[in-house]
Amino acid sequence: MNSRNKYGYLFISPFFIVFSIFGIYPILLSLYMSFTDYKGIGSPFNANWVGLQQYARLIKDTYFLQAFINTWKIWGVNIVLQLALALILAVIFSDVRLKLKGVSLYRAIFYLPNLMTVSSVALLFLFILDWQHGALNGLLLKAGFISRPINWLGQPQTAQLSVSLIQTWLWFGHTFIIIFAGIEGISKDYFEAAMIDGANRTQTFFKVTLPLLKPIMIYVVITSLIGGLQLFEIPFLMSQNGLGGPEGSLVTMVLYLFNQAFKYRNFGYAAAVAYGLFFIILIFSIVVFKGMFKEEA
Amino acid sequence: MKIKKYLGILLSTVLVTTSLVGCGPKKTGEGEKKLEVDKTKVLRVWSFTDELKEPLKYFEEKYGIKTELTIVPTADYASKLQPVLDSGVNAPDVFTAEIAWVKQWVDMPYWENLSDAPYNANEWEKDYVPYVWNIGKDNNGKVKALSWQATPGGFIYKRWIAREVWGNDDPAFVAQKLSNMDNFMKAAEELKQKGYKIVPDEGAIRWFAKGSEPKPWVNEKNELQLTQAQIDFMDYQKQLRDKEYSAMAPEWSPAWFASMGGPIPFNAGWDKVEEAKSSKKVEVFGYVMPTWGLHYVIKPNAKETAGDWGLTSGPSPYFWGGTWVGVYSGSKNKGAAWEFVKMMTHDQEFLNWWYKKTGDLLSYKPVTDKVKDTAKDDFLKGQNHYEFFLKEAEKITPEIVTKYDQGIDQIWGSLVSEYVDGKKTKDQVINEFYKQVKNAYPEIKTPLDK
Amino acid sequence: MNKRNLIRGILYAFLTLLALVCLIPFAMMIVNSTRSNTEIVRGFTLIPGKSLIENYKNMMYHMDVTDGIFKGIWLGYKNSFIIAVSVTILSGYFSALTAYGFYAFDFKGKKVLFTLILIMMMIPSQLGLLGFYELNKALKTLDSYIPLIVPSIATPFTVFFMRQYLISTMHPALLEAARIDGANEVTIFHKIVLPIMLPAIATMSIFAFIGAWNNYLVPLTIISSPHKYPLPVLMGYLKGGKVSENLGSMYLAISMSVAPIIIAFMFLSKYIISSISAGSVKE
Repeated sequence: MNSRNKYGYLFISPFFIVFSIFGIYPILLSLYMSFTDYKGIGSPFNANWVGLQQYARLIKDTYFLQAFINTWKIWGVNIVLQLALALILAVIFSDVRLKLKGVSLYRAIFYLPNLMTVSSVALLFLFILDWQHGALNGLLLKAGFISRPINWLGQPQTAQLSVSLIQTWLWFGHTFIIIFAGIEGISKDYFEAAMIDGANRTQTFFKVTLPLLKPIMIYVVITSLIGGLQLFEIPFLMSQNGLGGPEGSLVTMVLYLFNQAFKYRNFGYAAAVAYGLFFIILIFSIVVFKGMFKEEA
Repeated sequence: MKIKKYLGILLSTVLVTTSLVGCGPKKTGEGEKKLEVDKTKVLRVWSFTDELKEPLKYFEEKYGIKTELTIVPTADYASKLQPVLDSGVNAPDVFTAEIAWVKQWVDMPYWENLSDAPYNANEWEKDYVPYVWNIGKDNNGKVKALSWQATPGGFIYKRWIAREVWGNDDPAFVAQKLSNMDNFMKAAEELKQKGYKIVPDEGAIRWFAKGSEPKPWVNEKNELQLTQAQIDFMDYQKQLRDKEYSAMAPEWSPAWFASMGGPIPFNAGWDKVEEAKSSKKVEVFGYVMPTWGLHYVIKPNAKETAGDWGLTSGPSPYFWGGTWVGVYSGSKNKGAAWEFVKMMTHDQEFLNWWYKKTGDLLSYKPVTDKVKDTAKDDFLKGQNHYEFFLKEAEKITPEIVTKYDQGIDQIWGSLVSEYVDGKKTKDQVINEFYKQVKNAYPEIKTPLDK
Repeated sequence: MNKRNLIRGILYAFLTLLALVCLIPFAMMIVNSTRSNTEIVRGFTLIPGKSLIENYKNMMYHMDVTDGIFKGIWLGYKNSFIIAVSVTILSGYFSALTAYGFYAFDFKGKKVLFTLILIMMMIPSQLGLLGFYELNKALKTLDSYIPLIVPSIATPFTVFFMRQYLISTMHPALLEAARIDGANEVTIFHKIVLPIMLPAIATMSIFAFIGAWNNYLVPLTIISSPHKYPLPVLMGYLKGGKVSENLGSMYLAISMSVAPIIIAFMFLSKYIISSISAGSVKE
């Protein structure tokens, strides 16, 4: 190694110093805490070492299981809607024969919700969806779509659906931009070739567009999965006392972690929940990744 | 275990250096027995409402010490203050606690022990309403926090509605009407006939459940106790809903506040109620609220009807809330902190002034003895609220307060409302209650453990 | 031709409807911030009311007096701004530095360290949340902005992005020339590399700023004193305070909390959108 290359260490050292302290150390400390009965008071090093007890509890914990299912339901509905909408939009706007105008304006409007502070969005919808005085019921009643107010956030199914739809509202514009960019990036030759072969629109979409978009779709699904499984703000702020009601239907995995730690001060157990969450994300990222590439092989 | 050892050493060495400079809630040196009041330091106070605002102004004028009040709403207060107290960073000199978590904190090293020198607060015991004094004590009987108020509850109602429905608005008469839950329901029916709702929401009567069988949620053997009264009151709550005796304005919601000032819209959203013939607008008859509810919640929201309200007792005595105040053990300004606590809880001149200003029920006997015979509240048509509340305060049983109250009350409350909504059966609710409590507090024993 | 026009018409109608769905919550929010509590409780309309100023006064009064946050929402802006700007600058500069370190030099352990960065990109931040909280408790940095700002020196994704950018745009000859001229490495980075990297830094800065501005969970656990709350935490806090007793004031507070971003977006929308497009296609 010549002396110049030593500068490499100099240049990367601030990153790695901070990274070790604020990135890696907390992860190891969380791991340590997950083997103790630490209660969040004093220091974790004075807490009792309980071995794998917290993980044993995690595996049998029906509330964590419910949180896991809730999180998947909310994410699942959202990702299907979001991808479908984004694909439809991307296809319409990229269709050479239709030549739709105003792409950039629509794109900006669709993307706007994504920039909003999520906690403000949660509060906004908390008030809009309020069944007695909320603007949505008010609007629907006036327009005659419904004859009596719907208690959106008072029943498990509608509450979960509401959160899914809010997530879709927040993210479909973002996904649309990415997919649209992907379609624009596909060489025009492919489409022309398809046209010469006499393929219609549907055939072109399924035989040409979709396969070529696969890497981008995987990117979208994985990033959305990582984000979606960490869903916290909206359920936290939209339920009373942050408990994730009605009937616990809005308790997501991170909300469960947060309440175990900061509400009930079961830090040791909450740390085990964090590791549980991590492994779930890891496993499903791998599954999605492998699953979507498999078809090609 | 080896892993434990290495991991522990590795991780803790990083912290050692920093904890050396620590100034958390540790006992300060022995020599510091005398308290000095430093007038150049700002006295920092944390609380969960703005009720200390005026007293702090009074304190600033009286002592010439600057103060700074930090307010965090009740829901977040405990979780926001805990790390501050635990680490000592930006910590207050004085902080308050509400009854729901005061028991959690008296057994922590956060508050100074006021029983011993230099505070010697034990001498004051006879000056206070007993239950208020007792709640501020820790497991070893040492006083950690004091309170200037007592907070027994009552039933606060609109007199003109009583006159219209029963032709009589006298508190003694209304007390008869509400003397037990059967009568309460009868009264609710009579009110409904005239288009009134006896309470704003079903949860309002939860305090009577606690009051009619006063037992702590968790006993000294760390066992969860669900009383028969709590189970019976599930049905009372359901009756309120099913028979439309409540206005469906959830506590602390904008509609709830609005209902104190006048009629509110009653647009049922639940399927069952939807078929009902309730008129569009409804008016609430009364509120199950304690002393502070009268002064800080109802009065400011019912300005137009002031003078035509009444105060009486419900089916059982109860108490709700109350603020305790103490000196932070890590404070570097304990002298001034103690002066403030003393003024707030043991200064006749101040407490007299405070009484005149707010009408709040004090716990300090030298003042209450003086005013209890002559007190009257114009908002309540000149009724002597002091006499009433002091009598109710004697019925309070402080043993039922535990450190789990805030958490368990919330769990129970939300499960009961699922029963009221018809989503769960009684057995499901009870079973789920045991499970959820266990999940939140693994150290509590529930009937499911057996 | 008629058929195509018909399809077009239908599609435009669909797009407009979708755009309305995107915008209506904002409309509800803005309209309701001008209406009084009783008006809102009574029912919904899109016609603005006359209570804007009253709502504002009520909101400020309660934030100042009963909730104890003096200067209320403006303080929230200030706090969020301080945090977001610091994060943007630190993450921009240090990520560029780190990326360049990986790009320009060969040193022992380079591969391992870079792999570590890639792995950390995949790890959800909640994994270390409790450890992070405990660390800051031990460091006595709870209730300060240090835990919100300093960690942005190490932002794995930004480093990754910038290194890719360097690989695709940097001419090694440029560096060689500077070295022959006798410039030292630190000067080369500041005088030559940094200007070249500006477009990448700008792109990442927008996202760093928005990310920091909208961050909720970490400040929620770290910051205790209300006068230090950044805007998102302040909003959550209002839900439990006196302001939320008046729906008009609450809607107004929400509107004000998102206003800066909406305004910024009006000017930067083209740039932001092309950045997202560019970022994803490079993956």
